[in-house]
Amino acid sequence: MSGQAVSYTVRELYERGPDNLPNELVSNTHLIYSSPATLAFNSPGAEGFGVKRAGLAIPGSVMLLVAPGCCGRNTSLISSMPEYHDRFFYLMMDETDIVTGAHLKLIPQAVQEVCDFLPQKPSVVMICITCVDALLGTDMERVCRRAEEQVGLPVRPCYMYALTREGRKPPMVHVRQSLYSLLEPRKKRSTSVNILGFFAPLMDDCELYTLLKQAGVKTIREISRCKDYGEYQMMAEANFNLVLNPEARFAARDLEERLSIPSIELKRLYEIDKIASQYAALGAALGVTFRDEAEREAAEAAVRAFREAHGAVTFCVGECMNGDPFELSLALVRYGFRVSEIYGTLTEENFGYLRRLETLSPDTKVFSNLEPTMLYYDCSQSPGDVTIGKDAGYYHPGCPNLTWNQDRQPFGYAGVRRLFEDLDQTMTEQEGRP
Amino acid sequence: MKGLRKYLTPFAPDQSGAVSVLYELGGILVICDAGGCTGNVCGFDEPRWFSHKSGVFSAGLRDMDAILGRDDKLVAKLEDAAGKLDASFAAVIGTPVPSVIGTDYQALRRMAERKLDLPVLTVDTTGMELYDVGEEKAYLELFRRFAVDSCPVEPGRIGVLGVTPLDMSDLRAGERITAVLREQGWHTVDCYGMGTGLDRVCSAAGAEKNLVVSPAGLKAAQYLKDTFGTPYEINDPLAQFLLPEVDYTGKRVLVIHQQVTANALRAALEQRGSGEVTVATWFLKKAALARPGDIALKEEDQFVDLVRRGGYDIIIGDGVLRRMVPDFAGQFVEAPHFAVSGTVEGRP
Repeated sequence: MSGQAVSYTVRELYERGPDNLPNELVSNTHLIYSSPATLAFNSPGAEGFGVKRAGLAIPGSVMLLVAPGCCGRNTSLISSMPEYHDRFFYLMMDETDIVTGAHLKLIPQAVQEVCDFLPQKPSVVMICITCVDALLGTDMERVCRRAEEQVGLPVRPCYMYALTREGRKPPMVHVRQSLYSLLEPRKKRSTSVNILGFFAPLMDDCELYTLLKQAGVKTIREISRCKDYGEYQMMAEANFNLVLNPEARFAARDLEERLSIPSIELKRLYEIDKIASQYAALGAALGVTFRDEAEREAAEAAVRAFREAHGAVTFCVGECMNGDPFELSLALVRYGFRVSEIYGTLTEENFGYLRRLETLSPDTKVFSNLEPTMLYYDCSQSPGDVTIGKDAGYYHPGCPNLTWNQDRQPFGYAGVRRLFEDLDQTMTEQEGRP
Repeated sequence: MKGLRKYLTPFAPDQSGAVSVLYELGGILVICDAGGCTGNVCGFDEPRWFSHKSGVFSAGLRDMDAILGRDDKLVAKLEDAAGKLDASFAAVIGTPVPSVIGTDYQALRRMAERKLDLPVLTVDTTGMELYDVGEEKAYLELFRRFAVDSCPVEPGRIGVLGVTPLDMSDLRAGERITAVLREQGWHTVDCYGMGTGLDRVCSAAGAEKNLVVSPAGLKAAQYLKDTFGTPYEINDPLAQFLLPEVDYTGKRVLVIHQQVTANALRAALEQRGSGEVTVATWFLKKAALARPGDIALKEEDQFVDLVRRGGYDIIIGDGVLRRMVPDFAGQFVEAPHFAVSGTVEGRP
């Protein structure tokens, strides 16, 4: 019994390779430690967007959670937000329901009661089901069709199957498919584009909007900016979809098959030169050369200004934030900073960042938030000047922390600029400077 | 309609109750789930989780684990954790997934104990019962497993059963009950579940008396009485602080809370000259603690009807209930119940 949190250096992990990661970094080989740093993993709805909140992204929709009471317990956290008031309803299952499936017969009636209860008819009723129905093999599509016939409104399933979290189609992938499954065919407009991937809009000053305008795009739609169901339906006229989060790939593929809307995928990055390359590739695909020098310069200036103000600071980087911790760490190291610790989940997709990090910062330690020995994490063993991510903030309570997990999504140069502006503010406040 | 909630979010489930009892005892607590139940328990129902580290884990079940009933994999994970952590016991707490697949908890416990050098408890919660059912099971399991007969009775020592944040809606409930009981002359107060370690559970037979502050503690108190002869009383010594200074004389009052707190409130109201007091509860309604006319609530509609037809002047209950009866013209006195609303505010 070591009484110490287990970690590996970037070099050790690089040498092992992605197919030989230590068990401590492979979540299905150990118990999952539960701390405030892992809340986003165990209870994605409790912060940010989990299935419940995401399932209500369609304007005017409501959700009926059909599950044992325990599955809906923490929904009061979301219900307390004004925009979700009177949008969550529950049909609680008991053990008899599990044996007889009686709850399924009640769903159309429950949907009817919810619709009658509301002063205004909802645009859609999402039926959210959980692990129990996953195991029972419930055909919720069929149940939803029956409910639709009863209430005369779209009723769609939404699968909160935590059991399938590491499967081919985890819940957050499924929910995106459900959300866009309601789009109906309509005439295409060559100047319309959808941004898929997030449940909140990009930051207003994100250059992606202006770059798309340079490419002749006149209308850019995001589900979270749609004011009503009619506007949401207009997303079906898009010429192409821009996918900014890999969890939206399945939804984009569906839209391509069903509505003939092709898609282009972009990654959220914090390495400025890689952002530039990505935009260049996007421009090439669209047949345009983007003029993005000013935005790039603004991002570089923000990095410079931070470094001049605070020096070559040492970061601890977590995964409960808007970014990939390995990519962000790589960017920080390339900008001349030090990253002492990363709390993150290594996957095949992000192992490439670790490979590059190995040449620049081989001694950076990597921890898994989910590993049992994190119970013993001791921040005095690894001092940092500033932490990024809610989890990193939890581990280093005395250190300036930028949670960087806001709903409004950072992206591109604007994301880098805002990150360093916010870091500057966080550190300045901590230092007590004016 | 049966099971439909239009106003209230579901109440704290049984697995939250079980964790609440065991949280401070230094064990490896494994919630047998895919992750979501653990998130609900820790991120919402266990307010101590944000300030007080404890070894709470999710089993991290995946679909094939459940379909194939891979208990051996869970035991291997538990063995791995037990080898790395300093723990005095391990507990496996049930959720809907093991309930659906019919996990044999006794077999699981035996398998785990063969591999681990630790006592292992299992609590067969299902996620479909309410928190106090889980607490009741956990208390009983805990005392059956750990309380030993070799402790002589210590005069002046009292054990308190049923004190958890879910029941008492107060993170300082253990300290406050201790202070009240010390004023009454008890020099050693063990609030099992809040502020007392496993060693005190082991020596529970040494208590001169037990005090039951919520229905969840009743079965364990009876067990301790039957096994060690420890007598018990039932009362919530903090309930009196929930009552504001209002003229209760002749008033018809509806009290909704966990049954022991509600009964203590009724006693306090009657002392202040109230009229008829009806106790209703969403949770365990023990026949031994009920008066004729006390009500077990299950559905929202039932509560709405009760208030409409009851002609009450005053309702005492969690503030979240007020929304269901906007036409109620009497006075609503807020008595928070964490298991209902998740709020710990309002208790002085």
